[in-house]
Amino acid sequence: MSQSLRPYLQCVRSSLTAALAISNFASQTSERHNVPEIEAQSSPELLLNPLTISRNENESVLIEPSVNSVRISIRIKQADETERILVHKLSRFLTARAESFFILRRKPVEGYDISFLITNYHTEALLKHKLVDFLINFMEEVDKEISEMKLFLNARARFVATSYLTPFD
Amino acid sequence: MASPEVHHLFHNPIADHSFSPEKATLAVARDSNVELYQKTGSKFSLTDELKGHEKTVTGVDIAPNSGRIVTCSQDRNAYVWERTATGWKPTLVLLRINRAATFVRWSPSEQKFAVGSGARVIAVCYFEEENDWWISKHLKKPIRSTITTLAWHPNSVLLAAGSTDSHARVLSSYIKGVDTRPEPSAWGERLPFNTICGEFLNDSAGWIQGVSFSPSGNALAFTGHDSSVTVVYPSAPDQPPLAMLNITTRLLPFNSLIWNGENEIIAAGHDCEPYRLRGDESGWQLTGTIENKTGSGAGTIREESALNMFRQMDLKGQTQADTQLKTIHQNTINTVRVYEETNGVVRQFSTSGVDGRVVVWTL
Amino acid sequence: MSQINYRTINIDVLDPESSVNFPMESLLPATLPAPGTSSDAAGVASEVRQLLRSGDAEGALRHALDTAPLAGDDRAKEVHLATVIEVLQGIRQGEMLRVLEGVCGGSGGSERADCLMKYLYKGMAAPAQGNGAQSPRRGISPQSTGFSQIQPRNVGEGGSGQQMSVLLNWHEKLVEVAGTGSIVRVMTDRRTV
Repeated sequence: MSQSLRPYLQCVRSSLTAALAISNFASQTSERHNVPEIEAQSSPELLLNPLTISRNENESVLIEPSVNSVRISIRIKQADETERILVHKLSRFLTARAESFFILRRKPVEGYDISFLITNYHTEALLKHKLVDFLINFMEEVDKEISEMKLFLNARARFVATSYLTPFD
Repeated sequence: MASPEVHHLFHNPIADHSFSPEKATLAVARDSNVELYQKTGSKFSLTDELKGHEKTVTGVDIAPNSGRIVTCSQDRNAYVWERTATGWKPTLVLLRINRAATFVRWSPSEQKFAVGSGARVIAVCYFEEENDWWISKHLKKPIRSTITTLAWHPNSVLLAAGSTDSHARVLSSYIKGVDTRPEPSAWGERLPFNTICGEFLNDSAGWIQGVSFSPSGNALAFTGHDSSVTVVYPSAPDQPPLAMLNITTRLLPFNSLIWNGENEIIAAGHDCEPYRLRGDESGWQLTGTIENKTGSGAGTIREESALNMFRQMDLKGQTQADTQLKTIHQNTINTVRVYEETNGVVRQFSTSGVDGRVVVWTL
Repeated sequence: MSQINYRTINIDVLDPESSVNFPMESLLPATLPAPGTSSDAAGVASEVRQLLRSGDAEGALRHALDTAPLAGDDRAKEVHLATVIEVLQGIRQGEMLRVLEGVCGGSGGSERADCLMKYLYKGMAAPAQGNGAQSPRRGISPQSTGFSQIQPRNVGEGGSGQQMSVLLNWHEKLVEVAGTGSIVRVMTDRRTV
């Protein structure tokens, strides 16, 4: 793990732990409903100040807490065009399967690549510290994944190029 | 200190729990039902279910003397259940609210109960003989958001309420013909319905999650989502309080708190274990946790667990079994209640939480 | 004339009793200091710089946190943020813990800790200053084929990366000293910095 990644993940971990103190809360706007307040945005006092954690201008996490739900958005590092394409494909692949992913949001928050929505039902059914572990794990893996895919892509491109440009004998 | 009694009832959140005075019956709110458990030996077993609510039940309270059970739910209703020969019979309460009911407690006199709601009102309910129903009167005026918690003053007239508008308030719920005129106290002398006896806001705001009057009723403690506990000592009616002490902690927020005597508070919440605070008018401080954990320093171990976990995954291809928290409760504690006390000194208290456990602690 | 589509009007906004129109100023305590302007903040900045030059890093940080313009306008807050970050960057890593323990101890220490936490998050939220203008696209090869040469992925961390890593280090130390509770208070406190 690179040196500057550790404090970044540590910071995300403690911020998430603090933000995940959520509880069951019925809507005070619509009768007999119970909705994630961070998505409904119907009562400003039920939303808390959002937190941003960034490692540099290309990598950051936005945590938007509310009384019964927390929205977490991750901006994945994209240093060049290839990585941009790879990140786009990867996040599309994941969000298309959001159904079986429970906490994944179908659409990322603007300016970020992938978003999660954790509600009080998730913290009740799943272990809270494991949820945090999962998100940290995800952030770590996604970086590695992208680097790896890029290497593969370049290797394959080189192979294609060499065989394509091999002179005829 | 005797080790705590743990009753793991099921794997659902317990929104609220209440013991009957002889401690043989335990009522817990589970989803849209209230379940009654009877004590047999050292275990509780399910005996009855109070069905009638359509949405999540948010509050349940057993009146110690009459044995009546009051429940409220996010479907906007409250019921008073009475035991009859054929089972428990519900009576609908005319709450007249149009949002979820969030919290319910009997007054110490058992003549009234108060229901907090998302409609920005507190319904104070009392029984009307001639029509044979429970009707309500609304406390409305300064409340700007959902009521999250309520607590009664020992005189059954004053009511403390916490709300998501970050204010804790002390209001009068005096109802003519039901209540006897209360003794004048530091909170107020004449107390017509909806008198505001105090309105308190922390510097760092935060939704109020728990309120409680001290056994004498001369101090109020409340805890907010800013991980702090505030103790207020009133001076005289319409005067600023004698002291308002805010104790910020380094923990996650507390959800509920009770007093033990006049100089100790027990609070529990998102850290999954009860904590003790001590102090008086000159100052309060957090003295530590009540739980004796096996093994040392759960906190520090958890801090490093990510790194260790990945290392473990790399080496062994499996994660270490760290799914268990070191605390008895495995998830947020929602309610703390007095289990046994003499003259305001608590000897035992009970907690319930999202993990489906009810724990009885001995001090 | 453009037609107003009455079906799409959010009528809740027009109702003063609606929960959308919650009076947020009611969440501010009565003890809020008087609003400061950017020139006040600049005055504080020079005082702080003086303390920093004289080698009193702890005093500089303490002074900067005590004078935070909680009720000031955006400009004042920005100037003060720059001051705080300057102080934080001026303290060596080995001294962080000692300085923090000094600043967060004594009376009002926990307020200062909460205030510093607010600045750390604000610093990370703010768009990178200084050489943040560098485009992240500079790794692209001349013909925009979409394929760039392989390069270490961490080269792209310019000045902003440096600043963030300072803030992240401070954050880690501050959580050790002031606990998770202080992060919770950053979220709940409506007196933003």
